[in-house]
Amino acid sequence: MLSLCRRLVPGVLLVPLLSGCFAQSGGGSPDSGGGARLRVTLAFPPTQNFSPYGQDGVTLARLGVAEGLTRLDANGTAVPALAESWHSERDGRSWLFTLREATFQDGTEVTPAAVAASLNRAAQAKPVPAALAGVTLTAQAAEGWQVRVSTAEPDPVLPLRLSNPSLAVFSAKAYAGGRVNPIGTATGPFRLAKVSGTGGATLERFDGYWGGRAHASGIDARFVPDGTARANAVRAGETDIAEAVPVAQASSLDKGTARETATPRLTALYLNTRSKVFGDPARRAAARAAIDTSALAEDVYEGHADPGDGLFGPALTWAADRRVQPSGRARPGDPGGAAITLATYDNRPELPEVAQVLQQRLQRAGFKVNLVVRDYSRLESDALAGKFDAVVAARNMMLDTGDPASVLAGDFTCDGGYNLARLCDEKVDQAVARAASAAGTDERRDAVMAAEAAVLGTDAVVPLVHQKIITGVGSAVRGAVLDPFERLLVGPGTRR
Amino acid sequence: MQAAAGAAKGFARSNGPVLLWRGALVAVLLCGIGLLPWLSRTDPALTVLKARSAERDPTPEVLQAIRDELGLDAGPLRLLGRWLGGLLHGDAGTSWVSGTEVLPAVAQGLGVSLLLMAGALVVAALTVAAVCARTLWLGTRQRPVGRRAGGGAAVLAALPEFLTASVLATVVGVQLGWLPALGWYGPRWMVLPALALGLPTGAVLGRMLDDLLPGAFGEPWALAAAARGLPGRSIARQAVRRAVPGVLPNLGVFAVGLTGGSVAVEQVFDIPGLGRLTLDAAIAQDLPVLQTGTLALILLAATAGGGARLAARLLLGRALRDRALQSLHRPAPTAPRVLPWVCGGLLLGVIGLGLLHDPLAVDTSARLQAPSLAHPFGTDALGRDVLARVGHGAFRTLAVACAVSAVALVAGVLLGLLPRLSGPLVDTVNAVPPVLAGLLAAGIAGGTPWTPALAVAAVAWSPLAAHTSALLRQERATTHLTATRALGAGRWYLLRYELLPAILPPVVRHALLRLPGIALALAALGFLGLGTQPPSPEWGLLLAENQPYAERAPWAVLAPAGALALLGAFAVTAVGGVRHPWRRRRPHNAAQTTAPTVLSGDAT
Repeated sequence: MLSLCRRLVPGVLLVPLLSGCFAQSGGGSPDSGGGARLRVTLAFPPTQNFSPYGQDGVTLARLGVAEGLTRLDANGTAVPALAESWHSERDGRSWLFTLREATFQDGTEVTPAAVAASLNRAAQAKPVPAALAGVTLTAQAAEGWQVRVSTAEPDPVLPLRLSNPSLAVFSAKAYAGGRVNPIGTATGPFRLAKVSGTGGATLERFDGYWGGRAHASGIDARFVPDGTARANAVRAGETDIAEAVPVAQASSLDKGTARETATPRLTALYLNTRSKVFGDPARRAAARAAIDTSALAEDVYEGHADPGDGLFGPALTWAADRRVQPSGRARPGDPGGAAITLATYDNRPELPEVAQVLQQRLQRAGFKVNLVVRDYSRLESDALAGKFDAVVAARNMMLDTGDPASVLAGDFTCDGGYNLARLCDEKVDQAVARAASAAGTDERRDAVMAAEAAVLGTDAVVPLVHQKIITGVGSAVRGAVLDPFERLLVGPGTRR
Repeated sequence: MQAAAGAAKGFARSNGPVLLWRGALVAVLLCGIGLLPWLSRTDPALTVLKARSAERDPTPEVLQAIRDELGLDAGPLRLLGRWLGGLLHGDAGTSWVSGTEVLPAVAQGLGVSLLLMAGALVVAALTVAAVCARTLWLGTRQRPVGRRAGGGAAVLAALPEFLTASVLATVVGVQLGWLPALGWYGPRWMVLPALALGLPTGAVLGRMLDDLLPGAFGEPWALAAAARGLPGRSIARQAVRRAVPGVLPNLGVFAVGLTGGSVAVEQVFDIPGLGRLTLDAAIAQDLPVLQTGTLALILLAATAGGGARLAARLLLGRALRDRALQSLHRPAPTAPRVLPWVCGGLLLGVIGLGLLHDPLAVDTSARLQAPSLAHPFGTDALGRDVLARVGHGAFRTLAVACAVSAVALVAGVLLGLLPRLSGPLVDTVNAVPPVLAGLLAAGIAGGTPWTPALAVAAVAWSPLAAHTSALLRQERATTHLTATRALGAGRWYLLRYELLPAILPPVVRHALLRLPGIALALAALGFLGLGTQPPSPEWGLLLAENQPYAERAPWAVLAPAGALALLGAFAVTAVGGVRHPWRRRRPHNAAQTTAPTVLSGDAT
């Protein structure tokens, strides 16, 4: 008996020690004040400890924690958030935003001075947030509960820019330390209460939200990078909402659980215009003619994508009506067995499949195709340096600024920072410059579509498919926000 | 960690040069990691940026801001020195990606991984018991114990972890709902991952133990004990005690491998373990995290290796000291040789049939089709014939895997014969996560087609060396060796005619058991841009590209997995008893019990 005790005691003593080796599960306070807690599974773990200036800013926005002066509606137009209204002054060199009455989650008031301080901090962050790249921005409080945001050059898209999650507004308390601390300092319907490393986070409802009390009493967020695991979580009923379910798993979800949203994300084949083979426009045209985009959308993406029409797909509802057919395209020439290297990355599981289908198509058309598939971080610099003849990549065409003209400028002009096609074409540069300087919404959209036609006219890029994202939403959940720009997921009206 | 360091120190105190050698190896490895971005010529600012925010465009201003923030311009040596200096004060620095303290994150990951490893070892122990059950049962009843072919264990050992994990998560977790499919919140969450990791581990260890047990049961003491009427159970217990020391070093190797290298299982079940932490850090070139994680694994490996040697000494101490052991490796009658023919025939048949079809013909309208007459193994996600892909991928897969296995075997045996040299080397190499080995190999050798083979071979020899060393230690303490030496045999004679013939067969069988695992490890480095690229039909690649469809189109993963299992079963059964044409008859062999095939074996 004694020996049994002696054997058991260390075991019992080990139990509390072992419990430290398990992850902390979410589970905040039990349903205080009505409304069940939501269990949300996100794909990207926080990489910078929830600093709003990088990718984690999007996570904060998706969970309803942080918000900025404006937000994007489903059409890609800026609509009021913390700012009620706005107008430009001094030929667009500055904008005046009128704030609504709101409180921070720490109980202090959202004042023009606090907003201005928050924006100025973002403008001085290093590296500067992507939405502010190339922009010198200063903000200051103005009379009548207003904030004046000025830029060095006239910026017609400033309200769009300010919808970016990295320009969210936090209270003075957030900036006390060296880094921005979003715990209990933002303005959204949910308050970040506890962060358990990169595994999960606990959020509580913020009762003082300006848009009214949220239905759910809190959120237990988990970060699960593996797509199959996220799909399994929905199927096993272990989560209420799971973002970005891979195409391969979509059909295994129950009917009604997999919700599709068209996004401005474009999968395209970029042809390196400075390579030996694709420097010749006729060969680029031959590559374009060889590709059947509807087969890709139907088969590889199993219908969870639209065939590529142009650079801007059906998620941008205004694009289709304004589309201009590209002119001046070269006639397809004979590839003559030219050998090319086609590169892509496997972080999105569909891309290697797309590349293999393209490989076969191009080989049938007379090219000799060699595939390279790597992790994205191992591929990007080589791709941008032009080491491949062609690259298959997925690109969010409304990234960062929510302004299509700035994406065109970055991706297809001589000075572009992400010019996979290494395109440098005078006509394209002019068309993009016209789009970037157009001020009115309609004018700007027309100019953007004209620039799109100019880009497509060079055959430097072949749009393949416009992706739809699949969100797994449990059957009991109501009011999930399926945002085409992937900036929102949970709102005040989301409940189960 | 301190305890680990203490144990390592305690173990090595007796031999200073070994300690020095161990320290030098750790220093080389840490310097290698510190120089990784400069070796591989991949800008760490870029990889850190991509880890922070994948869609951020890498403009020169952004990269320079990150370089300034991290102080990268100071150069690798200064950075390494700073990290080491901090380490002396118990500060492992901050992560380059997230800016948070490294030590708590690594400690948390290590705790999770150790728990997972412990769970996996429990499952492995049960698997070992199951694999050895028949031998033990026969042994306790004093029936003749033949060495078994071990095809079943070989099939189990060839199971890819991620496949078992996916199947368990989908079937048990989702469809049946018996256990949670995701997370790491308590003992209930441990069962499925521990099963996925423990089954193949237990199969390898069980097969190795089962290989030694018949020898133990055949030793004179067992006969004497039986004759005196001792109960069969205590004889079996002693036989296990006699055989276990030969397996212990590999137990240590597995313990470390499971702690740092179970990335696939951690991903499928979303476990926040050390494997994923180091993988992410390696891809992002987050050096402080990578260095600290590897250091933790090195300490663990040193502890495990030291512990294994200590345990072996405790179990066999006196007999080792008195040189009173018998050789365990007595060729015994093998099971009827039908199995290898069946396995080999099936494998050849599948490959032959597959060669008749086109492995690259993409037909997206015929994707994921169930097996039919036109496609006997169905089609994959691009409508390609799975049978054709298995068939055409066989040659390359087998050739490279066999070549790597052969190199690993030769290196493992040679280094294993020098235990004082290889012991610390095994511990250090063992602690290197596979992806890190790949990156280091790519940094040193460049991105040639042979880089993945080099990386895998650089790691694959270590379990074989550990096995060789363990057997060598016992073999040196055998009575027949003392006798031969007394007769005036020189060192080379002893090595060639006494030691090698005794050590080689189990180590060769061990190497063959690991052959399928090597084929998988080679493909696992593909995402670094190393090795074979799609659409090549190499088996590891087939498994990886069809894994997302495992539930909808099980045939597309079962075919390559089955082929690997067949390969494993064939390889292991075919050499059920490796015969040595050079083996000479020795008096004590003839004196030992009934072993009719000794003669037939010698006759070949």
